[in-house]
Amino acid sequence: MSGSLRQLQHAFMDYLNTGSASVLQPHIVEQGLVNVDTRMAIYRNAYRVRLRETIETDHEVLGIYLGDDLFEQMVAGYIEQHPSKVVSLRDYCDDLPLYLSQQAPFVQYPIVADIAAFERRLLNAFDAPEAPRLSFTDLQNLPASAWPHCQLRFHPSLQLFVCQSNAVEAWQSIKAEQAPAEPDHSAHRYWLIWRGATRLTEFISLAPYQHALLIGFIQGRNFAEQCELMLAYFDAEVAPQQVLSALQAWFEMGLISRLDPA
Amino acid sequence: MINNKLTEDFLGFGLGLRTAHFEHVLQHQPKVDWFEVLSENFMVAGGKPKYYLQAIAERYPLVMHGVSMSIGGTDPLNMDYLKALKKLANEVEPKWISDHLCWTSVHGQNSHDLLPLPYTQETIDHVAKRVAQVQDFLGRRILLENVSSYLSYQDSTMDEWDFLNALAQQADCLILLDINNIYVSARNHGFDPLEYLNKIDPKRVQQFHLAGHSDYGDYVIDTHDQDVVEPVWQLYQQALQRLGLVSTMIERDGNIPEFPALQQELKQAARLAAKHFPNLVTRTLTTSAETSL
Repeated sequence: MSGSLRQLQHAFMDYLNTGSASVLQPHIVEQGLVNVDTRMAIYRNAYRVRLRETIETDHEVLGIYLGDDLFEQMVAGYIEQHPSKVVSLRDYCDDLPLYLSQQAPFVQYPIVADIAAFERRLLNAFDAPEAPRLSFTDLQNLPASAWPHCQLRFHPSLQLFVCQSNAVEAWQSIKAEQAPAEPDHSAHRYWLIWRGATRLTEFISLAPYQHALLIGFIQGRNFAEQCELMLAYFDAEVAPQQVLSALQAWFEMGLISRLDPA
Repeated sequence: MINNKLTEDFLGFGLGLRTAHFEHVLQHQPKVDWFEVLSENFMVAGGKPKYYLQAIAERYPLVMHGVSMSIGGTDPLNMDYLKALKKLANEVEPKWISDHLCWTSVHGQNSHDLLPLPYTQETIDHVAKRVAQVQDFLGRRILLENVSSYLSYQDSTMDEWDFLNALAQQADCLILLDINNIYVSARNHGFDPLEYLNKIDPKRVQQFHLAGHSDYGDYVIDTHDQDVVEPVWQLYQQALQRLGLVSTMIERDGNIPEFPALQQELKQAARLAAKHFPNLVTRTLTTSAETSL
């Protein structure tokens, strides 16, 4: 491998990150009307514009929520702390929720990191692999004896999102071009996000028991175990019916890809 | 007449397949000979992009064009990327696969840009080895594209066209010649674009790119967000004369117009080619009546 080529590429990349040109500049030829500083700056500017556009595109609602000044502050801080290590810009903002949850002034407003995290989940659902979607009839066709030990496998686009703020409600308001409500951090909120059969990304809020049920099935609990789990929320006579109702709804939403009778 | 061509058959006139046009292409099946897809846009597991890609691949010939191979980089080749590229190629069955003669990343950091290489024999030796690795892995020749550049290195010992020819020869790869990039770099570095065309090895040129750019007077930036300008159309005609009938496509990545506007621009390319090659047959220039027969 070429040592001088590697040194040159290091100097170039350092310049893109820091703007410090002292190592790169001696390698560049003076040509015509455009000076070396301008020639190098074309590349640094393009690098920063590309990352900025990625943040803006992937986090459109977050940008509106923050307003211009805070958004620019976030962009500048995130780019400085996160030189791109990803092959695809699709992944560049994966650490943005973490950045916002740790970095002043954003750390004072937990809803901001939650909005960013919700937008990441939407993108994940959008890009997830395709998989079959079973109907409730497929479950009904199983022999009754198989039901208690049956495990579910979900569509790969399924995303669960838990936050302690009204981030999703604020996201919805901004999408509808309405002013979001004041931040409310009083309770946990549970959301289910998935890509439907028409390839549209959808989301609904979950009651705590619905969230627990989904987590249980994702972790591989079977129908019988889930009915037992529901005893924490419902009477013994009602619990199986609640599990069944939830299951029926998930089939209708296209969330179930496979049934594994044990 | 050009003999001993290494390249595949002439595909005709194509456009870049962009998200904004997915639905239009599927619904109207416009008269375009082929589409070029950006490989990285479809290296996702599923979702809408994959759905449309598969549907469009059933109706049109496709070629794959990438921006992340970093063939001129000094980090080891990214095998995860190459595996994903090969997997996509198995799904799409492209007529060919291309990327750029440049570097994009070093020490694990990605510029997301097509950064220029110094034009030296040392660079050629380095890149040719990597091209061989890629071609062995993919099981086919790849095309490498000349990039627009805004600076030149003190280290360079040869002109860009000599570098491109020598690399293609040593690596036994093919060339995707971007006519707009020649124009942009000629303006930025003060060389004669016709000299570039005159010197390039016709045997290895498999595809032309056309695109628009942003002109700032003293320099020009390859932005792909404008129509093709007249000097680039003129250069394209020179390229046809010197290099023969080569599969041609128009790239548009920003300020993207409605599909019919791009189709009109593509027809312009086909009409210019028809002037030089009167027997040219292309779907791009057929009328509705002809297609319905």
